[in-house]
Formats: sequence, C-alpha cells, structure tokens
Amino acid sequence: MNRLAIRNLVQSKRVVLISVGGVTLALLLMLTLDAIFTGVERQITAYVDFSGADIWVSQESVRNLHMTTSSLPAGVAERVGEVGGVAEAVPILYLSNMIVTGEDRHLAYVIGLPPDASMGGPWRLAEGRPLSGSGQAIIDRSVAEGSGTSVGDEVEILGRALEVVGLAEGTASLVNSVAFIAAEDFAQLRGGGEAVSFVLVRVAVGAETASEVAARIETEVEGVTALPRAEFAAEERRVVRDMSTDVVTIMNLVGFLIGLAVMALSVYVATLSRRSEFGVLKALGAKTSDLNRVVILQSLLSVGIGFVLAAALTFALSMIIPSLSANLTLRLSAASLLKVAAASVVIAGAAALMPVRQIARLDPAMVFRGK
Amino acid sequence: MSLAFHNLLKERLRFVLSIAGVALAVMLILILKAFLAGMNRQITSYLDHAPGSFVVAQQGVGNLLGATSILPLGAQASVEAEPGVTEAVPILSQFLILEFHEKKQPVYLVGYLPESGGGPWRITEGRAPDADDEVVFDQVLARRHDIALGDHLEILGDDFTVVGLSEGTTSWMTSFVFLRLSAAERLLRAPGLRSFLLVSVEEGTPLEPIRARLSGLPGMDALLLEEMKANDLRLFARIFSAPLRLMVGIAFLIGVMVVGMVIYTATVERQREYGVLKAVGAPNHVLYQVVGVQALLASASGALLGVLLAYAAGQLIMAVRPQFLLSVEASDILRAVGLGIVMALIAALVPARLLARLEPAAVFRR
Amino acid sequence: MSSSTLEVTHVTRRYGAGATEVVAVRDVSMTVAPGEIVLIMGPSGSGKTTLLSMLGALLRPSGGTISLNGTPISELPEGRLPKVRLHKFGFVFQDFNLLSSLSALENVAIVAQLAGAGPRRARERARDLLIEFGLGDRLAFLPEKLSGGEKQRVAIARALVNEPPLILADEPTANLDSKIGHEIMRLLRRVAKEQGRSVVIVSHDQRIKEIADRVLWLEDGQFKEMVTMAEDPVCKMAVEREKAADRLEHAGVTYYFCSRGCRKEFEADPARYLLPERTLQGASV
Repeated sequence: MNRLAIRNLVQSKRVVLISVGGVTLALLLMLTLDAIFTGVERQITAYVDFSGADIWVSQESVRNLHMTTSSLPAGVAERVGEVGGVAEAVPILYLSNMIVTGEDRHLAYVIGLPPDASMGGPWRLAEGRPLSGSGQAIIDRSVAEGSGTSVGDEVEILGRALEVVGLAEGTASLVNSVAFIAAEDFAQLRGGGEAVSFVLVRVAVGAETASEVAARIETEVEGVTALPRAEFAAEERRVVRDMSTDVVTIMNLVGFLIGLAVMALSVYVATLSRRSEFGVLKALGAKTSDLNRVVILQSLLSVGIGFVLAAALTFALSMIIPSLSANLTLRLSAASLLKVAAASVVIAGAAALMPVRQIARLDPAMVFRGK
Repeated sequence: MSLAFHNLLKERLRFVLSIAGVALAVMLILILKAFLAGMNRQITSYLDHAPGSFVVAQQGVGNLLGATSILPLGAQASVEAEPGVTEAVPILSQFLILEFHEKKQPVYLVGYLPESGGGPWRITEGRAPDADDEVVFDQVLARRHDIALGDHLEILGDDFTVVGLSEGTTSWMTSFVFLRLSAAERLLRAPGLRSFLLVSVEEGTPLEPIRARLSGLPGMDALLLEEMKANDLRLFARIFSAPLRLMVGIAFLIGVMVVGMVIYTATVERQREYGVLKAVGAPNHVLYQVVGVQALLASASGALLGVLLAYAAGQLIMAVRPQFLLSVEASDILRAVGLGIVMALIAALVPARLLARLEPAAVFRR
Repeated sequence: MSSSTLEVTHVTRRYGAGATEVVAVRDVSMTVAPGEIVLIMGPSGSGKTTLLSMLGALLRPSGGTISLNGTPISELPEGRLPKVRLHKFGFVFQDFNLLSSLSALENVAIVAQLAGAGPRRARERARDLLIEFGLGDRLAFLPEKLSGGEKQRVAIARALVNEPPLILADEPTANLDSKIGHEIMRLLRRVAKEQGRSVVIVSHDQRIKEIADRVLWLEDGQFKEMVTMAEDPVCKMAVEREKAADRLEHAGVTYYFCSRGCRKEFEADPARYLLPERTLQGASV
C-alpha cells in the first residue's frame, strides 16, 4: 500500500508538482513572515546587546529604548556610580531623529556620548576612528554607502552640520540606524539642559550578579529603573513581538488556509482521477482502510516534501537576503519550524478527509461499468 | 463557445474547484491590499483631522510618526509673527511604551491645548482633559484592555485619570493618548518644549510663499499636511512593501496553479472529444477558444466570489480585532479582478498547448 | 472437493422501485463444480454483468442466495466482504484493470499483501506465478509497456495469487487479437483443470465455447438455454451436447459427435478413440 501511494505520486507528476508547489508556497509564507519578525527582533536589540553595558538605568518605569523616551536629572550618573558593585557609570543622551546625508534623510537613534565613553558607543568600526570631540559624528556604514557618504563628508544631525569621522558596523536595521555624536553637541542642540537619557553601568568584577547590583541601584537611587542587559533586551524584543502578534497570527492563518485548500484540492483531484483503480482494488478485496492509507500517505508525503522545501528555501533566503537588501534579516527559529511542522500535519490530515469519504462511498461494482 | 459551457457545467465539481482557486487567490490579494489601505488610513488619521494647512517641524524632520521633533524655543512666536499666519497650534508629542496586562503597547502621546486644537477630533465618551492629571484614551484600546472612564493609568510613573474616549485614533501598531500640553511638559521633563506647530493661514493666501518663509526660519521646516502624510505613508511602506509584495506574488502563483490544475485535468479527460473535433476539421484556435472561455468563465466567477469573500473576511477580522482597519477600495477590486483573469489565462496555456499537439488519429486508438 | 464450489439459488436483482423498477436478473439458479468452466453468454443488457457482480460479492442480490463452498456470501455483512473477495475470488477483466503506477510484479504482489502475506513472500509468489506464465522478463514493466496479452496474463496471475477457489472473468478476450485470445483461453482452462478451480466466464466470444464445459445463455435476466459442451472423440471438435449432430452410448457413457461420419468411425473402432483423459491440451501458453 505504501508502495502504491509513492508510485501513484510519482506517476502523476503534474498534480504532485502543483500540490507540493502550492503547499511549499503556503508554508513558505508562514515561515518567512515569522523569520522576518524574528530577524527584526534580533536587530532591534543589537545596540543593547553590544554597547558594553551590564545594566541599563532609565527613568522610572521606562523599560525600553525604542519608541519611548527616558529622562534622568543631571547628577544621576554620579549617584549611580557610587552604588556598591558599580565599576563604572556612563550617561548617554538619546533621541530618535532624522539625519541628513546629502539628499537623503534617514530615521536614526542619535546617541550623545560623553568624552572617552567606555560604553554606549559603536562596537565595531568599519572605517575611521572613534569620536574625539565636538562637531563629529559616526554613522552606520550601510546608511553611508546607500547615500554615497564617506569619512570626511558632512552630515546634518539635530540641525547642525557635523563631520563624519567613522562608519559603524551592525548599527542599522530595516527602519532606522544608530548615529553617535558628542554629548556636548547633543545637549546644545536639543536644549534639554543637564538631563541625560540613560546611564550605562558596568558591574565590578566579583561575586555579584548584574541583577543584584541593579536591584541595589533601584533602592539607593530615587526615580530610576535599573535592568540587567539581558532583561532590557528581552523587553525590547517584546515590543516587536507584542505589536506583531496579531498580524503574524492572521498571516499564519492565511498561509495555513491556503496550504489546506491547495492540498485538499490536489488530493481530491488525485483520488478522483484514480477512482476506477481504487474501485478495482475494492473489488479485489482491499478494505476501505487499506485505500485510506494510500490517500493519507500520499497527503503526508506531499505535505512533508513541501515542508522540507519551504524550510530549506527560508533558510536559503536568510543566507542570501542580508547580502542583497539593506538590513533586512531573516532568522529561522526552532519555534517557528515546530509550529509550521504541526500545521503541516494538520493540513495533511484534513486534506485527506474528503477523499477518504469518497473512497468509503466507492461501489466496487463500478469496475464493470466501463470508463 | 457552447462546448465550453457544456464542458464546464457538466463537470460541476471541477467548475466549482476552479472557481474556488481563483476566489481564494483574489481574496488573499484583496485582503492584503485592504490591510495596507486601512493601515494607511490609520497612519494619516491625525493629520487628516488636524487644523491648519501646514505643519512646522524641527528642521530635517518630515514625519509626524517617525523621529522625535524638537522645535527651537520661541518657535511658536516666530511663526505667528509671519504675515499671513493666523494661528500656530502647538503640540508636544512623543512615542511611549505602556504596558497593559503584560503586553507592551506603543502609544503616541500628544500634549495639546484643548482650547486651540490638535487633540482628539471625536470624543465618543467623556470629555477633553481639564486638569494635568487627565487623559483622553483611544476607545478601541480601552475596550481591548478593559479600561473605562474614570479608570487610572500610570504613565512614566505618574498617575492619570481617563476622562474621555476618542474614536479614529488607533492602529494595530500604536494608539494616540491625549493630555494637556502642560501635563506633557511635566511628564517629559521638558518645560517649554514643542514638537510641532499646526499652522493656519488667512483665507485665500497662497500657501507656497508662506511655506518657504517658514522653512527659512532657523531650526524649522514647514510642510503641507499632504506632504507630511505622504512622508509617513512612505516610511511605513518601506517596512511593509517587501513582505507584502512577496505575499501578493504567492497568492497570484497559487491562483494560477489551482486553476491550471483543474483546467488541465479537465482537458486531459476530454482528450477524446477534442480529438474528435480535430478529426472533424476544427482548427486549433477553436480549441484554444474553448479552453480559454472555460478559463475566463472560471476566473470571472471566481473573482466575483473572491471579492465577496474578501469583504466578508475583512468584516470578520475587524470585528474580532478592532484595532485593524481593512478597507477594500474600488481600484483594488478592479485590479484584483484583472489579476484573476490574467491568472486564469496563464493557467489555460498548458492545456491549450496540449490540445495543439493532439493527434486526431489518437481518437481511434482504443 | 466433493461439494460444489458455487451455488446460485433463485437469485434476483432489482434496480429502482415502483414504476421505474428494472429487474436485471430474474430467479436465476446454477451450480458450478470445482474444476468446471462455465461460460455465460447473452445479448447486451441481458444481466450478465449484474450476475457476475453478484457472484463476486460486488453486488447484493435482491432475493435468493449465493453460496461458495457452503458459505452464503450473499448474506455476509459488508465488513466481511473484503476478506472474501481477497481469498475466494479471482477477477479477470476485459480492460485488464491493472494499476498503472505499479509494475507487473507489484500488481500481483499487492493483492497478496492485502491478503496478509509479508512483502517478501508476496513478491516471491508473484514472481513464481508470472514466470510460470512466461512473463519472467517483464516483471519490472509498467502496464503501459505491456502488450494486451501480457497484461491479461498479469491479471490472471493476480487473480490466482491468493489461491481462490473461484475465478470470475468478464470478457477476458474482448481486447485481445485472435491468437493471443486463444492463448488466454487455454491458460484459463489449464488453471481450471490442473488446479481444480471453478471458472465462470461472461463473454460474447464464441471461441470460448471451445474450452467451456457448459454454456449458459442469459437473456432478459433469465437462463434461456442450457448448453453443455462435449468433445467429439474422433475429430476432437467441441460439440454442444444438446445440438450434437449425432450421439452414441457406449459402455454406459454417452458420446457426442459433430457429424454422422465421426459417429460411424467411432462405432467401427471405439477402443482406438477412447483416451484415459478428456482434456484439451493445446500448445503451451
């Protein structure tokens, strides 16, 4: 019976092509969408992950960097620095704004760094050197490339022309990038007085964990929230996730329904076209359950192949796309694979339902009724 | 022609299946477009209802919903001093992330002067804020998170009371929250800070010269409302265009495949009849016509069904998730139907080629 | 096998009801002994196919019973029928009805597997049968690559693989040319006589009379004429008993002759024409 299922599939190449093709596309839809959002989640935390801070201190009840604002009064950085377990505390300024390179305008998170900042700056320079004073800027390499800007050129940030002294690697995502300027330029342009946005903390080497030190900071310094890096990054990822849940669910559902429809149609047509052969088998003594096995196995095989293809394609895309497009990354996660695999099984089963009913109603006496 | 009809209707099941294939694809394409159209409507809703003809923003900032905009101190006075300007309504706005029921909810906070404007354009329940600890909250968001008039909210550590619920102020990504300008200043620790000015001019005054002058003011840019809306739309389009185009492409392919498969199998099973026709002397193009008409019939009915399904699905989605707006626009319908027809015609190509290569003598082979 | 293999008792089959009722088979009775070949002939629409369907447990009679080796198969519940079909009947069709995606070997093996044989045993049995039928070098061929005669031989092998007591054939030679048709006929006869299986053939083909033991004529759902075949001992021709030109009783046995001439020859020297076996041994198939 298994052999028959496989042979039937191999024989009707066109139907198989379409059914496997359709299912692959539907599953690809689900997987790539998941991968896009997972990729965004990953990108979004790049700055938090790599800027060197063990703890992020923000305005009380602010637990994110993107799409929010944080304002701490001047002097907070010193007070944080005095908390036990804190090796170093660097205040940074932060604003979401536009940077202008030549004719192009880019959305960017502008970070204002104090002189000789050990944290909060770019973690990898593709070209140039770190900031050494006022009037300078470091922008993302791909953004610079995209608008034909290089080291030594001028960019406009916060309304003033600054000289590009370095190009940073890994600081861009699909929507925006990070740009670094001197805190003094920032403060001047923004007109925000002595306030800072975040204080980045490095924990002293020793037995204490970042969580313990963070808790102490929150107790000892008024009006702040202190989060260890991993937690802060997780909060960032949650923004993307919570925002996109509904969209992803809807699109997943759509992909699922399409896969189901294509599969159900194909298996139905395939069974229909083999009706007479199934009738012969019934006349020869095959039980309905034997024939059902053939149909279900065919369904499982087709969907299985489709799943493998879709996963392979998504993986291939995740390798290819970053080199093509600006900052769109795809990441295929285990959770996504598992979910889509489960959906595939359901599709295979449901698609076989109608044909199974067809087979049950097959009258073996039809072998004589001619074609 | 009648043979095509006959073929299709006789095999009712196949007809239904091919219609289903086209309907599915058309529905998917329409839903995606509707989603995009609805999102665009939501994105521009604030500016659609904003007073005035211009928005003055920080120099270099061209979006309402993108970068933070910081106007230089005294901007309002400078703008209002310009001849032709009747009013410059100030707002202080900022993206924030609030948390409800353990879910992160981005909101766009707008601090405004209720007596000047720039706030919610339709309050369905309650009223505008009178005091600094009062907010107007979007009603869809309120319903989602069980928030009612009189409830308390914490924003950046400060306590606020919900005194009004607004309509039309939400999208699936973010919602507007309105409070008094002074409250916003305090919350953001930025006294005197302004993000945008909504500028009205004397009636009949030509807009372009004023815009040029305002843009010339230090640290500022003036944009027509339409320009700013277009910038916002473009920003979001950049994010969504690739995945969306991918999905539309997939939907199209699926439609072609399904219809193709159905028509192909129908043609194969009717090989004998077509062979007879050929043997009797019917030229190839007559057979193409038959297959083509089948495809067109399937696609026309399928497209129609797809439109209806898309509309129904849109209503369903909006009922279950009111933060989504799906608007099926007429132009998209036409385009989707057109695509459906193209789909079916492509799908008919392979069967047509099969017919072309058919040997009439095959008829007599038993 | 002392009892008859197949017993058909007053079987009727009706379709529809009331004004539109059609009686396809009307009060038909017959028995078939082991090793016996019965040919059922009749005009189109006479009910031959319906009768064959009922014999093969593909259709239930509206009245009467059909028993095989004592088991009333017409009364068995639907759930028991697949097993009966697998083990009790072998079907041979006009259109061969081989599974197009399976090779000759697999077509035969699959039926053995359905009956419970393990895959290897099933293939062994299939192979043996097919080699016996001269298809040793066609085992891996798909049906589309086989000639009509080869396909029918595969079909017969398939019908035999589970050793059923009854073979049912529907126009087995209709799609074959004369020479191949002959071979198939002789194969069927060999199967019946050497293996003691009952064979019921429904056909238009007059030539099948040559191998049949009995010929039944079905018209309007009823047997109209019974014809029993005999062999003329002198010229070896197949002769219908009831229509024999001449007959003679000799030593308690009745012999039938195609002509008076043969009878006279026999009378002249009976011992010369009396052979221990009365089987047609044609060229090997």
